[in-house]
Parts: sequence; structure tokens; C-alpha cells
Amino acid sequence: MTGIEIFLTDFLKLTFLSMVPFILAGQGTMLGGRTGVFNVAQEGIMLTGASVGFLVGYLTESIFLGALCAMLVGGLFGLILAYFTTTLKMDQFVVGLALFFTGLGLSSLLPKLALGVTLTPPLIPTLKDVTIPLLSKIPFIGPVLFNQNILVYISVVLSVVLWYTLFHTNLGLRLRSVGENPKAADSLGISVNLYRYITSIIGGMLIGLAGAYLPMVYTGTFTDLMVKGRGWLAIALTFFGGWSPLPILLGSLFFAGVEVLSFRMQVGGSLIPYQFLIMLPYIATIVVMIFTFGKAKVPGFLGQNYDRERRTL
Amino acid sequence: MTQIKKFLPYFLAILAAFVAAGIFIAALKFNPFKAYETIFFTSFRTPNGFIQTVMKWVPLTLVALAFTVPLSTGKFNIGAEGQMIVGAIGAAAVGITCANLPPIILIPLVILAGMLAGALWGLIAAWLLYQFNINEILTTVLLNFVSFALIDYVATGPWRDPAAGHPTTIAIGENGFLPMLINQPPLHIGVILAFVAAILVYLYTNKTTAGYELVVTGANPRASKVHGINIRQMFLFSMVIGAALAGLAGAIEVSGTYHRLIEGLHSNFPTLGLIIGLIARGKNQAVPFVAFFIAILEVGASAMQRTLHIPVQVVLIMEALILIFILLSDLIKRRQK
Repeated sequence: MTGIEIFLTDFLKLTFLSMVPFILAGQGTMLGGRTGVFNVAQEGIMLTGASVGFLVGYLTESIFLGALCAMLVGGLFGLILAYFTTTLKMDQFVVGLALFFTGLGLSSLLPKLALGVTLTPPLIPTLKDVTIPLLSKIPFIGPVLFNQNILVYISVVLSVVLWYTLFHTNLGLRLRSVGENPKAADSLGISVNLYRYITSIIGGMLIGLAGAYLPMVYTGTFTDLMVKGRGWLAIALTFFGGWSPLPILLGSLFFAGVEVLSFRMQVGGSLIPYQFLIMLPYIATIVVMIFTFGKAKVPGFLGQNYDRERRTL
Repeated sequence: MTQIKKFLPYFLAILAAFVAAGIFIAALKFNPFKAYETIFFTSFRTPNGFIQTVMKWVPLTLVALAFTVPLSTGKFNIGAEGQMIVGAIGAAAVGITCANLPPIILIPLVILAGMLAGALWGLIAAWLLYQFNINEILTTVLLNFVSFALIDYVATGPWRDPAAGHPTTIAIGENGFLPMLINQPPLHIGVILAFVAAILVYLYTNKTTAGYELVVTGANPRASKVHGINIRQMFLFSMVIGAALAGLAGAIEVSGTYHRLIEGLHSNFPTLGLIIGLIARGKNQAVPFVAFFIAILEVGASAMQRTLHIPVQVVLIMEALILIFILLSDLIKRRQK
């Protein structure tokens, strides 16, 4: 293999690896948003997911249990969000921000309580690559696509399943109608609240798992604020992807590509000061939003609560 | 009587939050009574404790206003963090490059540079909202992350203080230091600046026509538009004012507290600013009081960690609980009507 080929294989493999948190958090956000629940607590939920995932993984010596608990905690956040906004009809942004603070505090508090203050952080084993027989033997594509950890495959399959469910089944049609026009959906006997609860909870679970991915794959440990804005980027990604699963999948690749590029250039040494490379993903996201935000197809009732008693929508 | 009725749910909500947090502290096998004693009384036991509380109150009030002023028009400025950092960079840049100007010129210049830098940083998000209708929550948050890298660049760049272990610049000119009100323990005139800023914001939003347009836009954008208010301009304007206030907070930290730019000088103030703004339910006039209350908690929290070894994060949970219970008390009031 030539140098460029090695570099490209490495770059693409890392990009596919790094797209997972974006996919999971993006699809989680999308799912809630499709019924009208606009979650803005991603950053806090991901931090808590990372913290819980790491702690449980470390204490039980099973990263599977860690990931599961991260999902449960994320689901709990989703449940609370749904309860406060759907049943109590409180402002979605305000509740979301309150949950963001809670997650921020909780994520940093839990390790201190469970492990005390340690000089060297304990480590969990990171997720191993799963080599797919035959396919991984294909030159170039094999090592990039078919020699990845299990969550890379799962996140892609999940995106396709979500796309099919949302756009090719009755369930998906009903689900989308709740976010587009809850009054019409309600009049057809669709339980607006039920759909909002379930999507918010599942969305929270995916976001929690997205957080747990960071210690499970990147670092092997939890550090304060390790999500580094990926939760907020996931919201931008969801707008970028027009609240649709497949464009979100593609968008995740782009977001991950920028992240890997920024990281590689920092490590590789370049003429640009590294601080400006750190800025790259955030600035790139803002620039992308300029071109896509106005055109983004947003669920009609995104971020708005539905009250059956009110006459006007 | 009506006053009591008005504040009773509020008071009960805070009490409920403390009880809940107390149970949480007890569940962690710490003594909640001792914890609360430390949290509430550290600020009042010694002059030092009180002045520390006032010094925290200054940036807290300003960054909370940076959130509530745009909220008056219904916009969420989550970017006080970045605006404060860039304000601090602006103040330090002027303080270092113009170090030899006399104090009467340099001090106002440093403060204005901070406000202007903060305002410009906020203008980016405000303009993106104005021009392209891009969600301001996202842009303000993303710009925070950009500002973290920016301050690292400045603090490790040509102005770096090689003697400091942490990314820090050299000191600004002595003529740019904020004058002291009390020397020991140190209290600078930043407290007066914050006080004046809070009063001006109150007068502007509650007593002037221009400010009324701002508030009306938030209360009912559609009606405001029909009545000829350019609501998009109001969004832009409110966000820039808020950002300038956050920039002022950064400038005060540089010229009053640290006399130099230090990475991390924004501390957790901007996050607390959001909590304060939400607890004040977006009311600008309530912000200084809530900020003082939170300043007491924060000073008490660090004392609690020092003496009782209870992690400070417990207090962040407590503050989130206060917020949630206050939101719930609103709901009960709404149901009773």
C-alpha cells in the first residue's frame, strides 16, 4: 500500500468510528422531535451516559452492562422531559436546560462518589473490533467498513430501521402526524401523549448510549466535560439532516470527518496553531447551518406542547 | 397580604428543594444539617466571606442579565460563556497594549473594550439569527466552544506569562486596574458597575418605550409585528445588549480581579447565570437578588467541600432542584386560577 492509501484507510476508518455518537444522538433527537418534543439536554444526557456507562462498566467489569445502564439513565431523562412537557405542559427549552444542568452536575458528581478522588483514573477495556468474515477481506473497503466495533454496525442498521419505520409503515405515519399536526392526529384517535412519551424515552436512551460510547471506545475512562459539545452538535446535525434518519446518517459522516480531520492535523503538526484546528468542527457546523437551516424541513409542531383544551393551535 | 401570597409558592418551592437536596446529602452519608449550616452562614460569618460573596455576585448578575435581556424578546442566549471570555480577551488586549495611558483614560477604555468585544461575539449569533433565521441556542453554544480555543491561543501566544504554569498572559498596565473600594479583603468598584448595569437594564426594559417594544416582542411576537415593531431587529438588539453585559463581566474579572487574562477565568459563572435567569423567570429586576442568593450558595459550597469533604457538585444539583421546584410552583399557581 502506498502512503496515501494508508493515510486514507486510517482516516476513513476513524471517521466511521467517530460517526457513532453523532448518529445515536442525532437519531435520538430526531425521534423525539418527530412527535414535537424538542430535547435540548443532549449535552447533559450524554455526559451522564458517559459517566454512568464508565462507572457501571468499571464496577461490574462488563461494558455491556455499562452501556445498558447508560441507556436506562438516558431513558429516564427522556421520561422526565416528556412528563414535564407533555403532562405538565411546561416550556420545552426551559425544562431541557434544567435537565442539561442536572446532567452536567450528575456526571461529575457520580465518579467522585463512587470512586473518590483518584490520581490515576481507572480504565475500562475499550470495545473490540468485530471482523466480518469475507467482507473484511475486500481490499481498502474491508478494513474501513467491516473491521469496526459492533456499535458502528448497529448505528447504521438503526438508521435504516428508523427510516423504514418512519416513512414506510403505519406506525411511522402516525408518529409523524403527531409532530406535524397533533390536533388532527388526536381527532383520529392517535394518543398524542403516548407517542410523545415513547419517542422521548427511546430518544433519551439513544442519546445516553451515544455518551457511553466515548469512554467505551475513545478513552476508557470518564473525564469531566468529555462530550465537548457533541451533544449540541447533534442538534445542529438533526436540523442539517432535515429531521430524517438517512440524511442524519450522512450528516454524521460529515461531522465525524471534520472531527477526525481536526484531530489528525493537531497530532500531525501543521502550520496553523492547534487552537484553530480545535475550532474547526464548531465553525464548520455554523457555516453548514447557514446553507441548510433555512431549507431544513422541520416538524410542524417541533418544540410546542399540545393542549387538547385549547381552541387555537 | 397579597405580597405574601405572591411569594409563598416561591418560598415553599425553595424549601422543598432544600428538603429534597438534604435527603440526597443524607443518602450520601453526610450530615445535611452541618452541610446547610456551612452553606448558609459562610457568607456572613466573616468579612472575608461576605466580600467573597459580593465578588461572585458581580459576574453572576451580569451573565444572568446576558441571558434574561434576550429572553425578554423570547430568545435564548446560551453564549454568555463565550461572550464573557471574548470580553475578557478584549479588555486584556487593550490593557496590555495601551498600558501607559493614564488611569482616567485606560480604565474606561479597558471596560469598553471588553463590552465591545463581548457584543461583537454576540453579534455573530444575533446576525445569523437576523439574516438566516438560524436557531440562536445552537450558534451561541457552538461559539462558546470556539471561544475556549481562542482564549487558549491568546493566553499561550505572544503575551504569555512564561512564569505561570497555567495559560496566562502578562499583567495589564497598572493604570488599568479597577480602583478598590476596600483594600483588605479586596473589593473593587466592579460591584458598582454591576449595580449600575442592573439598574439601567431595569429602567430600560420597564420604564422606556424602546424597552417596552423589547418586552412586547417576547410576550407576543405576532401582535408586535402587526403593530409595526420590527421583531427581528428586536431579537438582534436584545442579544447584542446581553452579550455586551457578558463582555462587561469578562472585563471586570480582568481589570478588577485578576489583572491579567487567565484561561478558565469564566469559572462556572455562565452556567449559573442561566440557572439564575431561569429561577428569576426571566425578570430582569429579580436577577440581582437571585444572583446574590446563588452567590451565597456557591461560597458556602466551596467551604462545605473544604471542611466537610462534600463534593461541590451537590450544590449544582441543589440549584437545579430549586429551578425545577420553582417551575412546578408556577404550574400550581396556573392551575389554581
